[in-house]
Amino acid sequence: MIEPVALKDFFITFFSSALIILAGAAYALLFAWSKINSHTGIKIGALAAYAVLVASVLELTRAAQFQGYWLIISVAMVIGYFFAPIGIWHLCVKTHGHPDDTSIKTKIQEDEQ
Amino acid sequence: MNTPQLDNVIPKPASVLDKARIYRDKFKAWVNLDSSNLTAGQQLAVKYFTVAVILFVAQILFGLLSALQFIYPGFLYGILDFNVNRMVHINAMIVWMLYGFIGSIYWLIEDESGTEIVGLKWANIAFWVLTGAVTLVVLVYLFVQVGPGKDSSLWFINEGREYIEAPRWADLGITAVMLVFFYNVVATFSKGNWSGIAGVLVLDLIALVGLYLAGMFYMTNITHDQYWWWWVIHLWVEATWEVLVGVIMAWSLMKLLGVRRKIVQTWLYIEVALMFGSGILGLGHHYFWIGMPEYWLSVGGFFSALEPIPLVAMVVHAIYDSGVHAFKTVNHPALAWVIAHAFGNFFGAGVWGFMHTLPQINLYTHGTQWSASHGHLSFFGAYATINIAFFYLAIQQWRGNVWMAAGTRHAWRWKWALGLLNAGVVGMTVALLIAGYEQSFIERAVEGSTWAGYFAAQNQPSFQHAMNWRMFFGLVTAAGLGLLVWDLLTIGKYEERKAEKVVEKVIVH
Ligand code: HEM
Ligand code: HEM
Ligand SMILES: [Fe+2]
Repeated sequence: MIEPVALKDFFITFFSSALIILAGAAYALLFAWSKINSHTGIKIGALAAYAVLVASVLELTRAAQFQGYWLIISVAMVIGYFFAPIGIWHLCVKTHGHPDDTSIKTKIQEDEQ
Repeated sequence: MNTPQLDNVIPKPASVLDKARIYRDKFKAWVNLDSSNLTAGQQLAVKYFTVAVILFVAQILFGLLSALQFIYPGFLYGILDFNVNRMVHINAMIVWMLYGFIGSIYWLIEDESGTEIVGLKWANIAFWVLTGAVTLVVLVYLFVQVGPGKDSSLWFINEGREYIEAPRWADLGITAVMLVFFYNVVATFSKGNWSGIAGVLVLDLIALVGLYLAGMFYMTNITHDQYWWWWVIHLWVEATWEVLVGVIMAWSLMKLLGVRRKIVQTWLYIEVALMFGSGILGLGHHYFWIGMPEYWLSVGGFFSALEPIPLVAMVVHAIYDSGVHAFKTVNHPALAWVIAHAFGNFFGAGVWGFMHTLPQINLYTHGTQWSASHGHLSFFGAYATINIAFFYLAIQQWRGNVWMAAGTRHAWRWKWALGLLNAGVVGMTVALLIAGYEQSFIERAVEGSTWAGYFAAQNQPSFQHAMNWRMFFGLVTAAGLGLLVWDLLTIGKYEERKAEKVVEKVIVH
């Protein structure tokens, strides 16, 4: 059964839903970037994006009044969005692995120097 | 009797035709395109693209009329009613996008299969049959606006199913044309080479055409009717169209940026798995309130919550790929529109879709301007953009594979067209979002979805302001489209430099 969102929670429901997707993408991008650039700030940024995601999931869970098996969605989002960027990153690298391409990694590291 | 005076007033049919012919020739001379730059398959493709652009213009004109009717409800009342304008607006959209997709496939299969199109003669006949049918259907929409709800209306006037309203005779015609198209594709690959891209394309086309049949039954029970109708709409845009666009993108990325086949193909397979894995049961988000069993609340909520994942993956990959290839391309407008597609798909479908997909909130937003906000951003962001990108690829070849990157003449035109179209649609999206928010608040939550509540919401100042802003941004969109058409007709006209062939160019140090 569902418990509809309360009137006062309309805005926060839309807001936290949008933030989940945006924070998920930001985390994925920052995670990928942190792999090709060892700057610690980027890693912290990635974790911060993930923290925003977790907070948004918690807020949506409250606002949308998830109970019982609906909580599976919250758990799936928290776990799924943590691992998905790692998978996406491996995929990006693996599909681009080519004998004569030194990959974007060296290019960016050289730019840094 | 000979009446010389009248002869001067009423033009003879022959002279009207002559005049039209003169104008057409003048236009052709001005555009100055040389079709000998194209293969036979590409010549057919550009016919599809031409009709697509004309229908795109029609879509926008009828959109403007319906938007104006929100502000002045009496405007054209009884002459061209809102329901008719809205119908032409969204049916023209579906049809122009399908024309764009079909054209793109005809464009790429010769290159992809390494051989000439099989059954080209049939394909050309099919094009004219389809275009004739579309014209007739639209004319009937406009001239027979009211009538009885009889079987014959269903066969000859209008099927009454949002987005795919074509009457049944046209449905059968469309299906026949699709079979010809399908034959062209399969036979061409069979004669030439199959590839991973070709395999995905053919399987996807089977699903796409097969689903269209689900929109052709007639059921007396509205729940049953809607049940099947959503199969077409949802499973098109959230599964088969996404994959079709994936195929077109995979091929375009190889051409535009020189990305290797192995990369685009691996991504395509993963995309298919993720899209179908979440999108098929995500269908449930349309079954919440139409009289289907209650378990659809959970199924729809859960699976459509997964739908943004492939979109997140795609946007990350697009940025990664652009970084690797350092945006090196010989066609700047096409690449710009591909990037607009990646972001548009992510925001329109992923973010805007997720915001209203859980039944806990969809209970209030269902069928309000909220849906229209999402509908505009997603259809434009995901599908208009990629078609426009392909139009630019096509025009480049049509001009003789000319250079269309840095230093193109009048580059401001494509840049402003890109800016105005995107700003216009985003502006409309935000205006509709505000209207939808107000509607779900007042009409649904406060007034409890009553008839009086509906009017209370429509009369709120915030709703009415939002409708004015939508009109304003609609005009911005229309200006962008005007510029786009002008640019497509003229870009590369005086360009002498040839585009070099793009080969896989990864930055190597
Ligand atoms: C490119 C992909 C998409 C397109 C073109 C698209 C388009 C549309 C359109 C036009 C409608 C309105 C249908 C009507 O006339 O009633 C709609 C409804 C809806 N869409 Fe999407 N959509 C896309 C992806 C998504 C995704 C990924 C989600 C979920 C995450 C989603 C969630 C919904 C929901 C819940 C509705 C129902 C709104 C209501 O109850 O009125 N859509 N979509
Ligand atoms: C000049 C620009 C445009 C204007 C003024 C306009 C206006 C409108 C209006 C008034 C409606 C009817 C909404 C209702 O029933 O309340 C509508 C529906 C729709 N339009 Fe547009 N439109 C424009 C451009 C576009 C574009 C560029 C696209 C996509 C490529 C698009 C896609 C749609 C869709 C999918 C619907 C159905 C939405 C739903 O029922 O939820 N429109 N439009
Ligand atoms: Fe859907």
